This record gives sequence, C-alpha cells and structure tokens, in this order.
Amino acid sequence: MLSALGNPRQAAAQLMNFGLILSTAFMMWKGLSVISDSPSPIVVVLSGSMEPAFQRGDLLLLWNRNLFTETSVGEVVVYNVRDKDIPIVHRVISKFGTGPTAKLLTKGDNNDSDDTKLYAPGQNYLVREDIIGCVAPD
Amino acid sequence: MATQEKITVYNLADLKNTTDDAIPNYLTSLSFTPSHILTDVRLALGFSAFALSAACFAWDYNFGFESTKTYTAFAVALYTILNGLLTFWIFYVEKGTIYQGTSPKGDKIRISTETKKNVPVYHMTIEVKDGKTGERKTLKISRSFTEWFDAAGRFVAAPLQTVLAQGVDVVGRVDTKRANAAKVEGGEAGPSAVYTPEMLAMLSGEGVSVVGSAAETARGTEAAEAKKGGKRRKN
Repeated sequence: MLSALGNPRQAAAQLMNFGLILSTAFMMWKGLSVISDSPSPIVVVLSGSMEPAFQRGDLLLLWNRNLFTETSVGEVVVYNVRDKDIPIVHRVISKFGTGPTAKLLTKGDNNDSDDTKLYAPGQNYLVREDIIGCVAPD
Repeated sequence: MATQEKITVYNLADLKNTTDDAIPNYLTSLSFTPSHILTDVRLALGFSAFALSAACFAWDYNFGFESTKTYTAFAVALYTILNGLLTFWIFYVEKGTIYQGTSPKGDKIRISTETKKNVPVYHMTIEVKDGKTGERKTLKISRSFTEWFDAAGRFVAAPLQTVLAQGVDVVGRVDTKRANAAKVEGGEAGPSAVYTPEMLAMLSGEGVSVVGSAAETARGTEAAEAKKGGKRRKN
C-alpha cells in the first residue's frame, strides 16, 4: 500500500488520487451552486418556525433563478439577515412593487409575528437580492 | 534482511497490486528502460484538474460567490472536461498497463494485467515488438497467484520472474538464468511442480525479497537445489 513509495511517480499518483477525491466533491458542490445560482444550494432547517411544513433537521434544495415568474407571495424562501451567515427559512407573506426592488415581508408559519424583528436594525423589509433561494417545490 | 510483509491472500486487490508492483521492479533490475509516458499524461491531467479546483476554492473563499460566479461556472465545466479526459485515458489508453519499456537489447515490451472478480488468477497480456525485425506479438499468460505467494501471504519473486523469463522471449533473452531454469509447468489449475508450497515458504522464510538473477547468484546454491525439487531442510 503506502509502504513502497520508492519512486516519486508512484507517490505522486497516490497523492493525486487523494486530491481528486476532495476536488471532485468540492466541484460537484460548486456545480450545483452555479446551476441553481445560489451560494448555498442545500440548507438545513435550523428552527421549528416553519412547522408543520418543515421540521428541524430537514434538508432543502434551493433554486435561485426566476426563469418564468418572480418570487411571489406564498413562496418559501431562504435568506440571510444582512451581515449574518445564518440562513432563515420563512414564507413570503406580502410584497410591494415588482422587479428586483420589490419589498418583501416574510414570516415563519409557526411564528406569531412577522420577521421585522429579525431583520437588521433599521431594515423593515427584504429585497430579492437578500434571498439566496426559494425552496424547490416537491 | 528484514522479515517480509505479509498480505492477505484472500484479498484479490492486494494480490494483484503486489504482483503489479513486483513486475516493474523485476524488469528494471534487468536494466529495462521504462517509458513513463502513460503515467506522466495521467499525472498531468489529474494534477491540472486538482489545481483548477484549488484555484476555484481560493477565489470563492476570498471574493465570495456572487462576484466570481462566471469564473466558477467555467471552472466547473473545464474540470468536468479534464476529469472526463482522465477517465478516458485510464480506461481506453492505459487499459491496465503496468509496465511499458525497452529491453537492453532494444525490444519493446508492454504488459497489462487484469483479474476477474473473486478468481485468484493473474491474467497478463504482453505486447512485444522485436527490436531487430520490428515484428509485433501479443502473448497472454494466465497463472494462479498461488505460484508466487505462500500460504502466509509472503511474496516470492523467483517463480514470477521464471514465468516471465520463460513465457516471454524478450525477457528471457535478458534474464538467461531464469529462462534456463527448470521449466515451470504451471497454469490456471494449480501451482507449479517445481515450487511446492513448502518450498515457497522456505524461500520466503529466507527473506528472499531480492529481485533479479544477479542477486540470486549470491545465494545460488540454495536456490539451485530448491529448483531441482529436492527437499532440503534448513537448520
């Protein structure tokens, strides 16, 4: 196995095999990311704020392209609060305007109030840019 | 000499890999000149794919996803192409080749090997091109692994070298000692008549992991008597 690394080519070949395993896994992730246009195409549901639809620990596949229709009210979206890295999975409950500057308000199904408290201080709504993907319908 | 490594005789991959590593050692000890083209292309393809993915990781880590999206898309596509080429190279061009080179007399040789799942038989396909006449030949030799592994899993080089020296004239011309040794009547069915399991164990217990006939001459007496089929007790 690793014992007889007598010649450099054999050592290089084994190093290459190891490196290719890592890089293929990474490239598959990046490929999925590019196809769905989302920086994080697979997310884990972290809280119970969307029960009973999504439970804690569920894996969600995201799609961040608006090929046919814009993000509309009723869709479940994932967003990061400005400058934070925690993805929040909630539903869009109201929308003002159209296009990339439309203002979106979200709320967790299992929460009592909307997400205004969760947004950054001074932020009262989301725009399409903040959203990193919509949950793909099953 | 240090005690030899033992491999698991039931693990076909171990048997094949150990034998695959031994054949290039043997041929190199006979002053064959190996040709590294196959390995080098494979390494070039693999490492360039790895370098590409490392670069992709670096710019994604430093600049974030949004600004580097296009580069990442191209990188993924190029990586897929490189990996596809690498797979093609391994399956269709290399095709199980373990050695490619030229003998000191100018003959070219290429050895590819394979095993079938769960059958302990080593199939070698040897393509030779005569240096002087330019004539090409393809030989197939299939032997049971029991001919050069003893029951404990130690590898004994001598029987394998004899099989090659007697089976392939290009090798036999260079390794005359083995080519003229007692004929190895082996085959897929069972071990050779000359090297019984006891003798294999004795030879390996000697610490015989040397390669090539030059080293064998040093311990010539024991090996010669073993080849004659005599039961010789070591004390």
